[in-house]
Amino acid sequence: MRFSEAKNRKVVSTSGAVTVGKIRRFIVDPRSVSVAAIVLHTNKNVDGSNDTVFWRDLKAFGRDAVTIESADVITRPEGDFELLADKEHRVLGKPVLDDGGNDLGQVKDVEFDPANGRIRALLTDSEEIEGDRIIGLGPYALVVRSG
Amino acid sequence: MTAPEPVGPDRGTVLMRAKEIVKRPVVTLGGEAVAQIKDIVYGGSAGEIIGFTLAGRGLFAGPRKEALAWAKVHALGRDALMIADEGALEDRKSVLAKADAHGGDVIASRVLTEDGTELGKVSDVILEVGRTATVVGYAIDSTEALGKNGRTVLIPLPHTISVSGEALIVPPSATDFVTDDLSGFGAAVHAFRTRLAGGS
Repeated sequence: MRFSEAKNRKVVSTSGAVTVGKIRRFIVDPRSVSVAAIVLHTNKNVDGSNDTVFWRDLKAFGRDAVTIESADVITRPEGDFELLADKEHRVLGKPVLDDGGNDLGQVKDVEFDPANGRIRALLTDSEEIEGDRIIGLGPYALVVRSG
Repeated sequence: MTAPEPVGPDRGTVLMRAKEIVKRPVVTLGGEAVAQIKDIVYGGSAGEIIGFTLAGRGLFAGPRKEALAWAKVHALGRDALMIADEGALEDRKSVLAKADAHGGDVIASRVLTEDGTELGKVSDVILEVGRTATVVGYAIDSTEALGKNGRTVLIPLPHTISVSGEALIVPPSATDFVTDDLSGFGAAVHAFRTRLAGGS
């Protein structure tokens, strides 16, 4: 599944059987090469400024909706995770550099496994880069092993 | 110092112009740009790059106290110089201590052949970059002696070269291996050095 397809997908709490919001964006952890969390546009029924759900707190990433147990798992980024969640670590639009110092273009979309959140591939205008090549993600670039 | 390997195709090296390298960002494998290249530090008669001085990034950033030794470079590519992390940077003085006083200061120097013909003035330095980085040629604004109508051309260098602040002396046969651009220049350097070594 791609980020572009999954964006705006409904997020439903199964205990209350209510929609709590929709997916706004994804937070990627370069060390585990996976989606660490999703950030929501929350509905009014969700408390305060909480808007983040860790991948481990998802019940399912379904075709029509993402399910969570209850709105209680909606939290906000803290500690080390705050850094990954900030604007400078957003993957979409980020320039990709290989470790040889060559520009491979900008990330236009990301292909991930909805079963476990693994990043399968980064899509740029000209190529598809396997997720396993990711080395680091910083403010300047996403760095991948040379192909 | 041992002579560098001859230049040739398929050796995993790339030719670059020194002026293109300057201002390239210095990026960690974690994706953070920590500086940009200010100047290339040359050392030794074989024209090896021993490191770089650095500037901060951005319009108003000044020179940095740290420099980068070539040994700490992960890779120098078309778009960025990669380092493992910011720990690769070290004190400027320790990098500059190994610098050759004349090595980098060649822009606008005259290139003369051993038999006294002036070929032109240096406008850029051509580097072969791989595991090491060495000077393999100059871009020169040519004189009429080269018959190129004063255009900028590339001239290959021997492994070692006599450099003063005033002039650079090359063997006369270098004029047989002049090219107009970087494509084919690697082969020209290789052929020139092979001839100097007494090969065919």
